Amino acid sequence: MAFTDEELMAKVQDGYMVESPEEMSPGYKKALTVQLTVQADTELMSAPSYWMAARYAPSTNTQVSAHAIIQDELAHANIAYRLLEDIGESKEKLVYGRQPHEFKHPYGFDQPLDNWADLVVANGFFDRAGITLLSDVYQNTSYGPLKRALVKVDMEETFHLRHGEVWMRRLSKAGGEAKEMLQRSVDWMFPMTVEWFGLPDEMKRHSGQLDYRLKGLTNDQLRQVWMASTVPLCEQLGLKAPAHWDEANEEYVLDYPFPCEYDHESKVWLIDDGEISWDQVFTRWKGRGPMNEIYVESVQRSRSQVGRWLNGATA
Amino acid sequence: MREIIYDVFARKDRGDTLAHIGYIDALDDATAKVYAWKTYDEQNWFEMCVVPRSAIILVNRDDGPFARGGAT
Repeated sequence: MAFTDEELMAKVQDGYMVESPEEMSPGYKKALTVQLTVQADTELMSAPSYWMAARYAPSTNTQVSAHAIIQDELAHANIAYRLLEDIGESKEKLVYGRQPHEFKHPYGFDQPLDNWADLVVANGFFDRAGITLLSDVYQNTSYGPLKRALVKVDMEETFHLRHGEVWMRRLSKAGGEAKEMLQRSVDWMFPMTVEWFGLPDEMKRHSGQLDYRLKGLTNDQLRQVWMASTVPLCEQLGLKAPAHWDEANEEYVLDYPFPCEYDHESKVWLIDDGEISWDQVFTRWKGRGPMNEIYVESVQRSRSQVGRWLNGATA
Repeated sequence: MREIIYDVFARKDRGDTLAHIGYIDALDDATAKVYAWKTYDEQNWFEMCVVPRSAIILVNRDDGPFARGGAT
């Protein structure tokens, strides 16, 4: 039942749904593995990031909401790692056997969320990026098990986004110090999320994800979808977002050099230093951000000890 | 830790079809019930059950995740 890469590309473009690893060509399996690993790692690393920020929740109710989101993210990660196991990868190795720099999540989840505004803007911006990417996968993927799994994931990510929007609105309406803090979060997280969508289409290396119908939209199209809901939201809330609608070209255009360098210590984009190359961006991403080791360690730390207590088997 | 794969089935309302909604890895049946209920909490399910994947017997196919009986 196995197909060649070319045969499977033609079949999935014609609507064929892949249901088992036995049907996958080597290229399909590789592209799906990369996609699922990025998805799983992103969900997993959002959990310690949100967890450490949840301590800034202003009430017991908001603590509950923040932790409900963390619970969802961990479940989504678990589901994605389960899908990876079903195509021959080991969740044990992926979660507990890798060094912090080997995880494939975006650079945004290597950053500290330092206050309640950072957390709710992360829900408003990062989770919106998650929905943008995963809705596209849900609508277009040729892999049946992933499509089914995403029903739950998309439903819950929408709740995270609403949580972010509601709280962004509340902080903005309060004005004064609350709005200033919110604006500072927007200032570092808007460009962080724009960069998350990756290389512009004219530079994109061939990944196979579109050819194998593992997604439907290109990086630039997804970036536009994200901006089409984020920029109007910021405008409604009286927040400055560094992008505007260009009537002539009918697209959102960034008001700063893209890509540009980021100073993680001051959490400021070095816009005045001008545009940098994507090679420089990849170098920064590969170097990982300040919270990378702390977040990964928080996920991995108790596995071996509790494993020994239970059955002598360690990770 | 040695965990077992369980498949999770649920129906949302009376009269609905029991559907496969996901999977969890758990130490045993008791933890599987808790993990399934806490993980798949996106609906107020009328009925939910878990099945060790190793107990699923394929009838008309010999490929796909269920074919390996939960072995990874």
